[in-house]
Amino acid sequence: MGLTGIQIFKYLPKTNCGDCKFPTCLAFAMRLAAAQVRLDACPHVSEEGKKILNEVSAPPVRLVKIGAGDRVIETGDETVLFRHEKKFNHPPGLALAIADNLSDQEIEQKVQEVNNSTMERVGQQLRVDLISLQDKSGDAARFSQVAKKVAGLSSAALILQSLKPETMKAALIETAARKPLIYAATQDNYSQMAALAKEYQTPLTVYSDQGLEALSDLVDKVTAAGVEDLVLDSGARSSGKMLSDLTQIRRAAIKKKFKSLGYPAIVFPGEGESDPLMEAVRAGIGIAKYASLIVLNSIRKEALLPLYTLRQNIYTDPQQPMQVAENLYKVGEPAADSPLLITTNFSLTYFIVLGEVENSKVPSWLLVADSEGLSVLTAWAADKFNAPKIAKLVKKQNIEEKIKHRNLIIPGYVSVLSGEIEEELPGWKVLVGPREAANLPKYLRDMA
Amino acid sequence: MLVIGERINVRTKLFAEAFKEKNFEPIEDMAIKQVKAGANMLDINIGPARKNGTELMPWLVENIQKVVDVPLALDTSNIEAIEAGLKVHKGKALINSTSADPERLALLMPLTAKYNAMIIGLTLATGGLPRDANERCALAAEIMASAAEHGVPMEDIYLDPIMVPINGQQEQIKEILEAIKMFREMNDPPMNSLIGLSNISNSAPEEMRSLINHTFLTMAITVGLTGAIVDTLDPGIINAVKTTSVILNQSLYCHSYLETC
Amino acid sequence: MAFTVPKEVYNGKINQVEVGKDQQVIFGGEEVLPFLSFEGKAVSNVPLALEIQDIDPGDWAPSLTDIYGPVMGNPAEWAKLCQDEFKADMICLRLTGTHPDNGDKSPEEAGKVVEAVLSAIKVPLIIFGSNHTEKDAAVIKHVAEVAANTGSIIGKAQEKNYKTFAAVATAYNHKLVALSDLDINLSKQLNILLTQSGFDGKNIIIDAMSSTLGYGLEYTYSVMERIRLSALQQNDAMMQMPMISDVGEVTWKIKEAKATEEEQPGWGAVEPRGILWESLAALSFLMAGGNLVVLRHPKALATIRKTVAEF
Repeated sequence: MGLTGIQIFKYLPKTNCGDCKFPTCLAFAMRLAAAQVRLDACPHVSEEGKKILNEVSAPPVRLVKIGAGDRVIETGDETVLFRHEKKFNHPPGLALAIADNLSDQEIEQKVQEVNNSTMERVGQQLRVDLISLQDKSGDAARFSQVAKKVAGLSSAALILQSLKPETMKAALIETAARKPLIYAATQDNYSQMAALAKEYQTPLTVYSDQGLEALSDLVDKVTAAGVEDLVLDSGARSSGKMLSDLTQIRRAAIKKKFKSLGYPAIVFPGEGESDPLMEAVRAGIGIAKYASLIVLNSIRKEALLPLYTLRQNIYTDPQQPMQVAENLYKVGEPAADSPLLITTNFSLTYFIVLGEVENSKVPSWLLVADSEGLSVLTAWAADKFNAPKIAKLVKKQNIEEKIKHRNLIIPGYVSVLSGEIEEELPGWKVLVGPREAANLPKYLRDMA
Repeated sequence: MLVIGERINVRTKLFAEAFKEKNFEPIEDMAIKQVKAGANMLDINIGPARKNGTELMPWLVENIQKVVDVPLALDTSNIEAIEAGLKVHKGKALINSTSADPERLALLMPLTAKYNAMIIGLTLATGGLPRDANERCALAAEIMASAAEHGVPMEDIYLDPIMVPINGQQEQIKEILEAIKMFREMNDPPMNSLIGLSNISNSAPEEMRSLINHTFLTMAITVGLTGAIVDTLDPGIINAVKTTSVILNQSLYCHSYLETC
Repeated sequence: MAFTVPKEVYNGKINQVEVGKDQQVIFGGEEVLPFLSFEGKAVSNVPLALEIQDIDPGDWAPSLTDIYGPVMGNPAEWAKLCQDEFKADMICLRLTGTHPDNGDKSPEEAGKVVEAVLSAIKVPLIIFGSNHTEKDAAVIKHVAEVAANTGSIIGKAQEKNYKTFAAVATAYNHKLVALSDLDINLSKQLNILLTQSGFDGKNIIIDAMSSTLGYGLEYTYSVMERIRLSALQQNDAMMQMPMISDVGEVTWKIKEAKATEEEQPGWGAVEPRGILWESLAALSFLMAGGNLVVLRHPKALATIRKTVAEF
């Protein structure tokens, strides 16, 4: 955002009406400067104010939405080159490519794969977000028929891949309400594709493999024709070119404010690559370095979980720790006399402690306390992991009904809490566990 | 400028015990020492004090104000303890602190207005540490809105941009300086701001702390800081306050300016 | 405004390190961010090491024991297999048997293993302790001598034991891995301590502490990016060492690399899942500036090698 909160404030009505859901215009101006809210949240900005503020508040990489209903995927809207500078905003959408010349049965099968691709990790639902329909038949009727069918079988967002405007139009007639991404406008067909994008109000991919200068020139022609929601394909199909093009596009947009490349980018890591492992690793390059849409030829389960997890990790907000839900977790098949351990709900703490308890091969109960995502020591220092909270949690989770014994193993770093916890939980004994999770296996095995 | 002495603090073993045993001697000693060194306010940090805050705080306030003639900063998350302290405080107290969370503001702003106190507003909410100056200002605007809603004058708010350790959050320090500058522009007359200075050198070696602390303090005062919770017993800090005051033409130079209060 | 290639201009570059005796391997030396050859001298060689241990670890994932089973427990044979069949650029020998809780093998016993492995291979050797700072110092003192003048890499020096590591690395001509836990300031501090004690900074390899997908990857990733940026942009000589990513160890002990499809029906086949878990972790660290990677699965090595060849 180019303007400061104070400068933005000048263009606001200053009525403190609260329609934007913030208490004062000044508060709203500050949120806008911090890019935490969009200008259209205020219904009362003057036209002149809107023009100036939109111009200045537009993110260097345009926000482009694909899809409809509750399956809209947002791409772009990025402001930094490195996640540690602030954070990355929109995790890249994963798409499964489906060729229209497959048999109907194969097509249905692939759509089912997409529909069944959801996995949960750290409270987030991770899934394959899009289906990319590829015109391999060369037959407009076939392409549009398959598009209609796929749209009926899945609510996933759609990408329509055909370079023939008539074919694209036929498919758009069936699917426009789903705001599919048109792929693609090229040097040869851009005025027709741009017209379609305008008519059906859907986003448009711009393709040129003649270098980024040629790509940006083509983008300018398309925006001159009145289409603003664009996605870029530089034609990069090897790891090296992908990394190079994605980096240059993102840098040009953010550092040079080069509007002609200020759009999300799409990559095809599997094209010309038959090894699904290589496709997945190339997809990883896109995830780490600036891809907004990643179209895969296969989405085998063994590839999805690692890709989802990598995407989740890169796109985590560095300032906001990921948290797991407060709960009593079973590790293995614990019995009523199995050990009971407690830790905090910072997701890294949880996964590390869980992993070590699993490594011990001692079935146990793991009680995870809500510490607002802080690790054990930090939570204790901030008074978010204390004796009364722990006691309350033990009662809330009905521990005394599920577990016969009355021993609670606490993390070694908060051994000072022992006495207080025993005071808050009469009848309970506090055992002080190791300071480092890596010593849990030995600790639990020695206990048994 | 508010120069607030930080030494009477439950995290120090000496005072944790003194609080527990209601032994006023070390507390009196430190209160007098800090004021003599140049503190014009004292921070009384009793921690969360869940069990005994409501009797500990007023005991401390009453007795400390018997031996030194400065207002106090009541430093605890226990709101009942704050109120108990405010009831017996002579003059304008400083509530340390509220965050930008609506629930905390809803409880602490009315309290501030009721007792005509001042309050530190931390630009911190449940979204984690603020990432940059803009986010700090966004939270500051909300603190200010809450103050206005409850009738607390803007001059009684001290915005705290959240000091972070240089070892670990180095890139945030520039944002803190920028935020202090921006806070001032958010109102006319400019908003007050305050930091917990020692946190910048939190995990630095002992012998480096004074240098890092008073260098940052100088930089912060230059961009408009009007309050700081500091180790007033560190002559480097008090000298920095006095020297910046003279350099910024806020007080008249003379060769013995360090000896003046 | 016409498009111009957005090249960064950097003030510093990464040290180049050479290891090995019979076969020399070079890594580091780049002058730009990872693999961005369009703006300057990018690295062309990323050595990939396979990990072996001095004892049969006993708890390695089935996907690994299926491959290494017969030779685990015979370090020289294990090393040969990794070099000859799986084409590892280096062998990484982790002396886990020396850990007090894991057999407590003596420095002399460790020395015999090092000797046997050195005789069996031509590629450079990395020798790691068991991550017990006290025991590691005692062990490395001896094995560094056993491996004298082979141009090996020894590690991992930490704040508590760096003096011993530095002394033997200098005395016996080895490169040194310096480990700090996910803290860029401590990383720099350790490099300063090492160089102040007389160790040549050009022989240091930074280990910012590896993690794997879902278990803290983003922390390692961002610390590594920040280290690399301070090396290139701030010309910070204390951050210009190449970096190592010790990925296999942290990856293969987690549930996601071990659980079978019967145990976790939605997770797909266990072996490709583990291979991808290791490959993607390694790939992400290469994006963040990793110059040398230690892996466990040969297919992860092959996949990463193929990917790097495309840069």
